[in-house]
Amino acid sequence: MNTRDLLRLVLSNLNRMRGRAIMTAMGVVIGTAAIVVLIALASGLQRSTTESLSSIGAVNQITVFAGFRRFGPSSDSGTEPVLTPDALDKFSKLPGVEAVTPYVSVNARNITMNRLTANVSITGLDPRAIDALGLVAEQGTNRMGTFGVIVGSRTGEQFNDPRLPRRADEPPPDLYGQTLLAELQRTNDAGEQITRKVRLHVVGVLAERGGQDDTSIYMRLADAEDLTGWLQGGRVNRDREGYQQAVVVVSDPDTTLSTTTAISDMGFTAFSATSALQQINILFAVVQAVFGGIGAISLIVAAIGIANTMIMSILERTREIGLMKAVGASNRDVMSVFLTEAGAIGLLGGIGGVLFGIGAAKIIDLIAVAYISGQNAASGSTAAAPTSLVFVPTWLPIFAILFSVFIGLAAGIYPALRAVQLNPVTALKYE
Amino acid sequence: MTFIEIRDIKRHFTLGGSIVKALDGVSLSIERGEMLALMGPSGSGKTTLMNVVGGLDQPDAGRIIIDGEDITHFDGNRLAQYRQRQVGFVFQSFNLIASMTALQNVEFPMIFAHVSPSKRKRRAEALLKAVGLGDRMDHKPTELSGGQQQRVAMARALVNRPTILLGDEPTGNLDSHTGDEILAMLQRLNEQGQTIIMVTHDPRVASYAKRTIHMLDGLIQEDQARPSEPSLMKDAAS
Repeated sequence: MNTRDLLRLVLSNLNRMRGRAIMTAMGVVIGTAAIVVLIALASGLQRSTTESLSSIGAVNQITVFAGFRRFGPSSDSGTEPVLTPDALDKFSKLPGVEAVTPYVSVNARNITMNRLTANVSITGLDPRAIDALGLVAEQGTNRMGTFGVIVGSRTGEQFNDPRLPRRADEPPPDLYGQTLLAELQRTNDAGEQITRKVRLHVVGVLAERGGQDDTSIYMRLADAEDLTGWLQGGRVNRDREGYQQAVVVVSDPDTTLSTTTAISDMGFTAFSATSALQQINILFAVVQAVFGGIGAISLIVAAIGIANTMIMSILERTREIGLMKAVGASNRDVMSVFLTEAGAIGLLGGIGGVLFGIGAAKIIDLIAVAYISGQNAASGSTAAAPTSLVFVPTWLPIFAILFSVFIGLAAGIYPALRAVQLNPVTALKYE
Repeated sequence: MTFIEIRDIKRHFTLGGSIVKALDGVSLSIERGEMLALMGPSGSGKTTLMNVVGGLDQPDAGRIIIDGEDITHFDGNRLAQYRQRQVGFVFQSFNLIASMTALQNVEFPMIFAHVSPSKRKRRAEALLKAVGLGDRMDHKPTELSGGQQQRVAMARALVNRPTILLGDEPTGNLDSHTGDEILAMLQRLNEQGQTIIMVTHDPRVASYAKRTIHMLDGLIQEDQARPSEPSLMKDAAS
């Protein structure tokens, strides 16, 4: 029998046992919906985690910190690795490394522009590494001069008038070409607070990158060292004390992981978005598998339901099966009719489950996002509320439907075999 | 060449520990165009013999040759193909599918024979008209009388142009008047050359056949040819 006749026959058979087919499919609906909701939640969690992680740095950058003082028995073994210029020089000689720069943070008390104030970190870095770091000027230049700084695309948003908060529809100030006044403070030997004001001229605004670069102020390493030296009451001996942080840029993102490992092996704490992403993705693959597995258990229960319904239906239709055989239906025909019926119940349940699951996921999402925003508002936190906590990857509905069809087919094998093995003579006489 | 050749076939069943010899060495030759009645009491083996000829059952011993082809050891698929191409069944209890209309019931066997939908419809309609149900094609079996249901079943049996038409007590569930209509219909088919084998325990039904075989305990007791007019026999019986 051809596919069209098969489908037509199966549809009419299912229509005949409509109530029972729908109730059986409900089991599949619940199982599939559980899989969809749980995996959508895990995927949403994975997405928001990886997104916040990607904003830490580009995939070809490795952030290096001086070796942590280790706790435990290994703490007394040898010297602490220090991020000295020599160490940085070693990094730059590693294969595939394009640029290395220290990151020197200058702790300004505040930064003002006319009446506007901001609390933004100023970072000093090696101007030779600017291009390798991917810091491209959208306005002006990325070539920093003496106290000529470059700012991120959203750094302007950080500037506020403390007495007159900016209205939502008011654009943030354009920093390009402006002069910022950084106020530094330290206590001198006599115990008095002394203040130094530094004028920073904004020579460029960077293109938006979706990371912390967007809200930073970058200056030349030499200027930052000058300010740091003033803050600490004397120039820092980097050969002895080292830098706190450095960034290594590799030319090929595929070598990020190996370079990260190489630097870690030298005793430094090396960290890249890539390595973190990799580990988080492994973790979430496990989470998804576990969540999917929980959903799959309910589908197994649904499969038993399908098998039960099919066995009942075959009992009721014994004479009909006998007739099919008498009029020349082959074993294959009988097998396909009942397998397709079981598969169709799985398919119906799968489609229903996907729709129901996506709907439930959306509702959970709305409630959760509203709850988190409420919490943020209550605690006065300005942290952006997540726009979405659940995420339905494109493969998920396809996979869920295919899986439920598979479950239906698997559940149909035994009943279909029973139908095939019916003796036509006794089947025709079955009461 | 003999059309249906049955050589010493045996069919034994185990029923509750004891062996039932449904067929205990039956040999029989049937020519094309015969109309044959298999008679005998319950358990005489007449239905088993019909099932073996129809390819619904297979003998434990002996051979069965149809039109020169030995079907004794056909596997499930070849047997299904044999039933599809060569055999039409008419059952005592009609065995129509309740959810299907008369037309769909008649079309049903052609689905498995890979006949195109348009051809199926044409053939089924023609056969339903031929059995006098041209105006009942869209009726479900429950909306038809017993005689009408059996006529649908006959149309279904003929739909794949079988060489052998088998009837298992085809009038068993019908009143005598409707039964006669069905039998007259079978007789007309036989006059057109259709080979027909009927199982019955009713002598009146058997009187429509040209040849009657009496069975008892799995063996043929008597093989009678009756060239006489069936209508005369009917009168004699009543």
